Amino acid sequence: MLASLRPPARVRRALIALALGLAMAAIFVADTLTEYAVAAAVFHTAVILVAVRWFSPRAVVALALACIALTVVSFALTPAGLYSVGLVNTGISILAIAITAYLGLKMVAAQAAAHAAQARLLQIARATSLGALTGSIAHEVNQPLAAIVTSGHACQRWLAQQPPQLEKAGQALQRILADAERASNVVTRIRGMARGEAPRRQRFDLEEAARDMVALSRGALDARGIAVRWDAAPGLPPAWADRVQVQQIVGNLLLNAIDAIDAIDTAGPGGVPEIILSLRRPGPEQLELCVTDSGIGLDPAVQAHLFDAFWSTKSQGMGLGLTLCRSMAEAHGGRVWAAPRADGRRGASFHVSLPALRDNAA
Amino acid sequence: MNGARVYVIDDDASVRAAIEDLLASVGLAAQGFGSTAAFLAHWRQADAAGDGTPACLVLDIRMPGQSGLEFQRQMQDLGMALPVVFITGHGDIPMSVQAMKGGAIEFLTKPFRDQDLLDAIQLGLGRDRDRRAQAQVQALRRARWDSLSPGEQAVVRGVAAGRLNKQIAADLGVSEITVKVRRAQAMRKMQVRTLAELLRLADPFCGTYTAPP
Repeated sequence: MLASLRPPARVRRALIALALGLAMAAIFVADTLTEYAVAAAVFHTAVILVAVRWFSPRAVVALALACIALTVVSFALTPAGLYSVGLVNTGISILAIAITAYLGLKMVAAQAAAHAAQARLLQIARATSLGALTGSIAHEVNQPLAAIVTSGHACQRWLAQQPPQLEKAGQALQRILADAERASNVVTRIRGMARGEAPRRQRFDLEEAARDMVALSRGALDARGIAVRWDAAPGLPPAWADRVQVQQIVGNLLLNAIDAIDAIDTAGPGGVPEIILSLRRPGPEQLELCVTDSGIGLDPAVQAHLFDAFWSTKSQGMGLGLTLCRSMAEAHGGRVWAAPRADGRRGASFHVSLPALRDNAA
Repeated sequence: MNGARVYVIDDDASVRAAIEDLLASVGLAAQGFGSTAAFLAHWRQADAAGDGTPACLVLDIRMPGQSGLEFQRQMQDLGMALPVVFITGHGDIPMSVQAMKGGAIEFLTKPFRDQDLLDAIQLGLGRDRDRRAQAQVQALRRARWDSLSPGEQAVVRGVAAGRLNKQIAADLGVSEITVKVRRAQAMRKMQVRTLAELLRLADPFCGTYTAPP
C-alpha cells in the first residue's frame, strides 16, 4: 500500500533533479572554499550515479559535462593551497566523473538489454511450446473426427439402400465407435500434458515467487509504462505447492494483464496503466493471489469462454494459457477465476487460490 | 459406375477405411494406400497392364515421408495424368493455391461433406475418362497414319499443303496417275470418305510441306 502513496514519476523526477542541483552547488562551494589539497569535486560522481538511474543518457552526459565545468571553475576560483597539487586533484576529479558517467551509462544499457531478453524468453517459452503443441493436437484430433464424419455418411448411405445394408452399416458404426474412442484418448493425453507431472509440492513464499515473475516481465512492463502495485496482507503463511507451476500461472496472468492493457487505446481515459498484485488469506490453509489490471476488461460474453481450450480473444492467441492455468491450479486443489475489478474501474481481476501451510514456527 | 477405380492415399488407416467404405456405398471400387511410395509401386504394375480403366486419386497432404503436394509434383515429372482430389486436416491458402495450380480437381478440408468428396471424384473420373478417350482416338489416328506407305504419306502431305496432283507428281518425280492412286489408297486406309475428313485426321502428322525447288 505504501507504493500508492508515492507521487507520480514526473514529480519524483523533478524533485530528484532539484536535489542533484543542490548537491552540485554544495560540492562546488565546498570545492572552492577548501584548499587545493581537498578534492571535493570527486563527490560529483555520486550525483552522476543517482542521475544514471533516473535520467536519459543524453541528460547524464550533459550533467557530467556540467560537473566537469564546475570542477574547472572551482579550481580557478580556489584561493589557497599548492597549485600543483590542485592541478593533479582536479585532473583526478574530472577523470573520475567521466569514468563514472561512462560506466553508469553502460550498466543501464546492459540492464535494458537484459530486461528485453527476459521478456522475450517469457514470451517464447509460452508461445513456442504451445504453438508446436497446437499444430499437432489439431492434426491428432482432426484425423479421427474426419474418419467419424466419413463413416457416418457411409453408414447413412448403407441404410438408405433398398434393402438396407444392415451389416455394412453396422461395420461403419463399429469404426465410428473406435475412432471416437481414439479421439477421446488424444484429448486425455493432451490434458495430461497440460497438467504436466504431478505437482511437486514445497513450501515457499508466494509473494517472493510472484515478485520473481514480475521481475521477469519487467522489460514488457517498463516499455509500456505500466506501474505495478503490491497489496499483500501482513503475516501470510508459506504456500504449499509446486513453485514452478505457480510461477507459470502468475507469468501467464501477468502476460494476459499486459495484453489487456495493450488492447485499450493508451491515450484513452483511465489514466496510468497499472497492474495490482494482491495476496490474502481467505482461510487458514488457503492463499489467494489476485492479478488486477487496468486493461480492456471482460465482456460477459468473453467471460463465459475464458477458460475454454483453444478459445482466445487475441488474434495470435492459441487459447490455451488460462486453460493450462486452471489445470495446474486444480491439480493443487486450487482454483482460477476471473471477475470484474472490485473497485468498479475498467479492467479485470484474475484470482488464484492455492493451498497454504497452517501456521507454524516459521 | 462400372469400370472406375479410386485410389485413396492417407497415412491414417481409419480415415482410409472410412473413405473406402463411403465409396463402396455408392458402388465405387476403391483401393487404399498408406503412403505415396506404396501407391506408386502398385501403379507402375497396374498401368503397365494398361487396362484403360478411368481412375482418380484421393490424396492426403500431410503424411510422414513424402507429402501429398510433393507427390503431385512427382506425378507431373513422371507424366502421370491422374486427376487428384486433395484432402487435408488443416489446409492454408498457399497450400490450396499450390495444389490447384498443380491441376488438382478439388481441395477439401477434413472433415468434409461426403457429397463434396463424391462430386469431386466424379469430376475427376469424368476428366480421366475424357482424357483416355482422347488418347485412344489419338492412338487410332496414329496407327492408321502409320499404315500408310511412305509414298502415300508424301502425297497426303502435299495435298494438305494445298498443292495440285500435277504439282505433287512433279515434286515427287512420279506420274500424276500414281499420285491419284496413292491418294485413293490413303483415303481407304485412313477410313475416310471426303478430302476434308482426310485432312482433319492427317493434319497432326503432316508438319510443314516443303516442295523441292
